[in-house]
Amino acid sequence: MTAPDSNAAQIAAAAAAANALPPAADERPEWTPRAEMTVLNREIPRLDGPQKVTGRARYTHDVRLPGMVYARLVVTPYARADVGRISLTAARKVPGVVYAETVKADDEGVRYQGYDGILVVVAAETPEAAEDGVRAVRAKVTPLRPPLVTPEQALADGAPQITRRGNVSSESSRGDSDAAAAALEGCDAVVEATYTLPVQHHVCLETHGCVVDYRGGDSATVYHSSQYVTGGPQEFAQYLELPRGNVRVICEHMGGGFGSKFGAGTEGLLACQTAKALGRPVHLMLTREDEFLMAGNRSGSKQRMVGGATKDGKLRALLVEADRLGGVGQGSLPTPPYIYDVETSWSRLRSVHTATDSNRAQRSPGHPQASFAMESLVDELAYALSIDPLAMRLANLSDPVYHRQLQRAAREIGWDAHPHKTAHGAPDADGRALGIGFGVSTWGSSSRPDAIVEVRIHPDGSLEVSNAVQDIGQGSRTLVAAIVAEEFGLPVSAVTPRIGDSSLPTSVYSGGSITTGSVAPAVKDAAFNARTALAARVATALGVEPDTLVFRGGRVEVRDDPSVGMSWKGACALLGGDPLTASGKYRDHLHGERVHGAQAAKVSVDVLTGRVRVLRMVCVQDQGIPFNRMALRSQINGGLIQALSYGLFEERVIDPIHGVMLSDDLEAYKIAGAQEMPEFTVILDDDDDRQAAMGMAEAPNIPGHGAIANAVYNACGVRVRDMPLTPDKILTKWLEMQR
Amino acid sequence: MSEPKPPSGAPRDPSRRAFLRGALAAGAITQTLSKVEAALAEPTVDPSAAASADDEVATLAGKVPVTLSINGRDTKLSIEPRTTLLSALRVHADPPLTGTKEVCAQGNCGACTVLLDGRPVYACLQLAIDVQGRAIRTVEGLGTPEALSPVQAAFCEHDALMCGFCTPGFVVATTACLEKNPSASLDEIKHELSGNLCRCGTYPHVFAAALDAGARLGGEPRKDAR
Ligand code: FES
Ligand code: FES
Repeated sequence: MTAPDSNAAQIAAAAAAANALPPAADERPEWTPRAEMTVLNREIPRLDGPQKVTGRARYTHDVRLPGMVYARLVVTPYARADVGRISLTAARKVPGVVYAETVKADDEGVRYQGYDGILVVVAAETPEAAEDGVRAVRAKVTPLRPPLVTPEQALADGAPQITRRGNVSSESSRGDSDAAAAALEGCDAVVEATYTLPVQHHVCLETHGCVVDYRGGDSATVYHSSQYVTGGPQEFAQYLELPRGNVRVICEHMGGGFGSKFGAGTEGLLACQTAKALGRPVHLMLTREDEFLMAGNRSGSKQRMVGGATKDGKLRALLVEADRLGGVGQGSLPTPPYIYDVETSWSRLRSVHTATDSNRAQRSPGHPQASFAMESLVDELAYALSIDPLAMRLANLSDPVYHRQLQRAAREIGWDAHPHKTAHGAPDADGRALGIGFGVSTWGSSSRPDAIVEVRIHPDGSLEVSNAVQDIGQGSRTLVAAIVAEEFGLPVSAVTPRIGDSSLPTSVYSGGSITTGSVAPAVKDAAFNARTALAARVATALGVEPDTLVFRGGRVEVRDDPSVGMSWKGACALLGGDPLTASGKYRDHLHGERVHGAQAAKVSVDVLTGRVRVLRMVCVQDQGIPFNRMALRSQINGGLIQALSYGLFEERVIDPIHGVMLSDDLEAYKIAGAQEMPEFTVILDDDDDRQAAMGMAEAPNIPGHGAIANAVYNACGVRVRDMPLTPDKILTKWLEMQR
Repeated sequence: MSEPKPPSGAPRDPSRRAFLRGALAAGAITQTLSKVEAALAEPTVDPSAAASADDEVATLAGKVPVTLSINGRDTKLSIEPRTTLLSALRVHADPPLTGTKEVCAQGNCGACTVLLDGRPVYACLQLAIDVQGRAIRTVEGLGTPEALSPVQAAFCEHDALMCGFCTPGFVVATTACLEKNPSASLDEIKHELSGNLCRCGTYPHVFAAALDAGARLGGEPRKDAR
């Protein structure tokens, strides 16, 4: 294994390389105007598609190394428990088991469900033997009651303390409650409601885990299903007690993260400890059950709201008391009001802890929770005032982008012709009612300045682009290649992307939609620098000024006289024996911030069964330059589908008496499948003419479930304020309405 | 039809509940029974009480030679009878065939779908020893990156994959669907793929790819293709 340079050395080396090839003083890279793009702003098939569809793509779970052992965890199902003697005698006798160690110190109990419930690590020659080893472990585990898995249990008088911060933490308030209460007085409609959202799981299809290739000695390679490859060596080196520079982290492909895979986790620590003890490579991937218990979640939320509006549809007052329910974590929720303008508002937020797994970032953390409550409230006020809910939204959104996008979404879904806009409809003779609902989203799409990219042109005409960035499914591998291809007027296939390896130049994490906005500018910068350097060589050979040259159609030629020029290969041959290497770094002027988004959903509610069928979802989404239009549509579909799934099916269920998670497999925890798919209309908002790189993956994930809930109300008058929209809730409310 | 996935004519009850994989009859509290039942029945297990019995292990079966026909080639393995087809492919075959994915290991997700005599089955619910003499086709056997099958090519062209972890299962299930009926309608495709889960949300592009691949495989163009 070649040990990578430390980050600092990489940066220094990259800076030196950049210095060696200074771009002309007054020139800086600018994005090609969209109309002139030949590669970008088009449908670009993924470069790793053929590997993935043939099963050749190697994920962490697929890594097989000589001498590798399979590790498994023994985990208690109880949220809180006393742990007595743990016997490993039988486990160690299981043929094939090579390692069984307790994780708990003597008398150390289980304080919360998740990482703290891990009792033992077992490793064996085969997964089957490891499972036998797990089954052979004996432990005296006594569940503690109450298990403190519900907010009510955690808030009860005398409840044992769950976290060091207590059972309630991170309280904050904003605004003047008296002023907000007074503002309610002048309102024509006031709605008071509590909106609740369950804990959602990420459900990455590839579970969390890593393969630690340590065979003794002073270096290691770790294969890690990770959203932050560059950050990996620091953590794994610490766990392996090796110098950071001697640990290389690789993530060629990864099976989903959605915000839950930034760090090594306790599973990473335990894999390292096992590998250290054995001096053999260790494969430790969580089981699906482990994954539900300990790999994070989207925090639940309970939002008590009082909102008021005047008959012109203006939101005048809002009071919010909200609990973030992130287990032993803090949970997330943006401070209200979410997106909409409210004249006077007050809010108080707090974290209520339970003895359950900590929440983690999950695609658009906090926003889907805030969105559901706010979109529901705005909707309720609209109907209370007999105002068209679309008009009500427009009346309280100052950013004109939302007006453009909402109106487009309304047009696509057929709102104009919809028969009941200001009051709910009724079921037909078969018991089916049709409804339409709306919602909007926002995301900061910020960037980080860390990325360094290297572009290398070989004398034979081959071209590489290198950066440690991971492809978590958003298509970053294809994106980095496409930006370079665009710069040189070549097809994407002419560029070899090298990513997913910490020994490559520094990159950023993939989270919060920052990857594109952070990496694309650095790729552009590196490509621009490489092009400038190559153009200088070609100009000398042709006897022309470098700035007259253009790279297009596989040639380098004089812009106004294409007969003066040479082929790409000919140009590269000028390099002689050595490749040309150029480095690029993050350039802020190539990045843009803040995306919007508007969605509409059309549903059919069956009031005889309580079943909601989503018929159609429309999304209008801005994203700066739409680099890869096809990957963007995939990304938006994904957001819509996850929101649909969250809204209709997903809910973590923990038995409140014993503290055992009941929804710990994909049978009990349902995610949307093929049969639940509506028709999707995804519109890339080309009226957003910002010539800037920005990510947008969070935004389309935010308002869909709220739009669906609003559509259910519009259909039949059933207002469900606690997600998900399961048939029992619809039926109960429907029957109440009939009385 | 893809529901249920296990093969027709399987001699035993293929249900998940009845599917026993362990060679050891151990009763660790973390793994057995439905968990609440376990909690209600016996909230504590005291290892000292039954120390002598619990500290022993019994091997019920050793390794046996097994020959599997994988992608047209006979592959000899030496595995325990309880080894699933999924584990046989991913772990015990040499070289391992890791294109078939493990996601739930209990028949909930379809990531492990392979073709058994042309029918889609969940490899995690098959014992390798039971499928000797039957034609097993995995995603690796359908095409190569250089020579993609029509379904694989259509998946790439329609961006029917994102992270790609569910993709081999979808490719295999789509292949089974279209080999049976290249003119499958959108509704039929949805039905045939209803045993496969994707978290990234590729379904609409998978449907488009399936409809397109069906046309390439000689299916009648469908009105509902979009
Ligand atoms: S891994 Fe076999 S169905 Fe999920
Ligand atoms: S592409 Fe990621 S799970 Fe389907």
